[in-house]
Amino acid sequence: MTHHRELIRARLGKLGLRPHREGEIVRELSDHLEDNAAALEARGIAPEEAVRKALDSVPDWPALRNEIFLAETEEESMNYRTKVLWLPALGALALSSVLLALFQFLGLVPRFIWMTSGMSMEPYFTVYAPWLVGLIGVGAVAALWSKRVGGGAIHRLLAALAPAIGFLGVLLISPVITIFIYELLRFYPGAAAHRRFPLSFHGPFLAGMAVLLMSWVLLPALPLLIGAVPFLRKPQAQS
Amino acid sequence: MSGIDAKIKRGSGELAILALLDREPLHGYEISKRIAQASGGILQFNLASLYPLLYRMEKRGWVNGKWEEAPSGRKRRYYHLTPKGRKQLAPLREEWSRFFQALRLVAGVAPAG
Repeated sequence: MTHHRELIRARLGKLGLRPHREGEIVRELSDHLEDNAAALEARGIAPEEAVRKALDSVPDWPALRNEIFLAETEEESMNYRTKVLWLPALGALALSSVLLALFQFLGLVPRFIWMTSGMSMEPYFTVYAPWLVGLIGVGAVAALWSKRVGGGAIHRLLAALAPAIGFLGVLLISPVITIFIYELLRFYPGAAAHRRFPLSFHGPFLAGMAVLLMSWVLLPALPLLIGAVPFLRKPQAQS
Repeated sequence: MSGIDAKIKRGSGELAILALLDREPLHGYEISKRIAQASGGILQFNLASLYPLLYRMEKRGWVNGKWEEAPSGRKRRYYHLTPKGRKQLAPLREEWSRFFQALRLVAGVAPAG
């Protein structure tokens, strides 16, 4: 056994790995060599010839050394999930933001639907029709992008819905930020503002959150989904 | 019988190894022997082609190598299929199935035997 390990070490050379791992690999390869030689001996080949033939089954030892090194130290520049989900999702977010800014720059204003409720705060819906129509294209681009790089249906769907999911994240985190800033105000000299607007998560706040959810999450999710649908199905097998 | 082109063999090696390890853990020499036996000698993986592939699959978390006692009493490095590796089996099988279907349509490739 030691003899086989020395033979492997002599041909493989230094792998450039941690000593323990390198020892493991040499041991494993020498076990394989030994089994290979034993199989050749069982066919009537002389022991020394069997070992030589087993060693010769590797045509290029330096290439094997490099292959093992690369396999052991392989660092994927981009893992699968980044490729099929995060990048297309970021692309969708960026595209939806660019569209939003572009339409505002072009003077296309959103439509505000006011609701009167008798409360001091009047929540409203925001319907930004040009942007919503543009989101169909955003959803399509994101789903297609994910599909082209090998994403499954769920990756394509999540990438397409990324702008809506992003807004949902902002919405969910905003109460936390609100509480944090509100508590910080206690230490501010102008604490009168703190007393005048007691923090409350009832009534107007909840209504406001519901309206924001509808305007900036659920409503945009619809055109994003419409755009993605053609790219969610698996290709039909040709008959 | 002539061998398979190296690139095709590399691509199919992952599926072959995963499928074998799905049945039971094996060490490297057993893997190469079983692939050769099951494929009638068409697919052959020697020391040079098998271990880089196994190490890559281990890095990806598809298989897990452990030193265990073999029936002979010696310690060998046995490869076990991980849950992550098991999840790869169905998509890989489907991928190769679609690939062969496409080849059949385009190049008139018929199943051997």
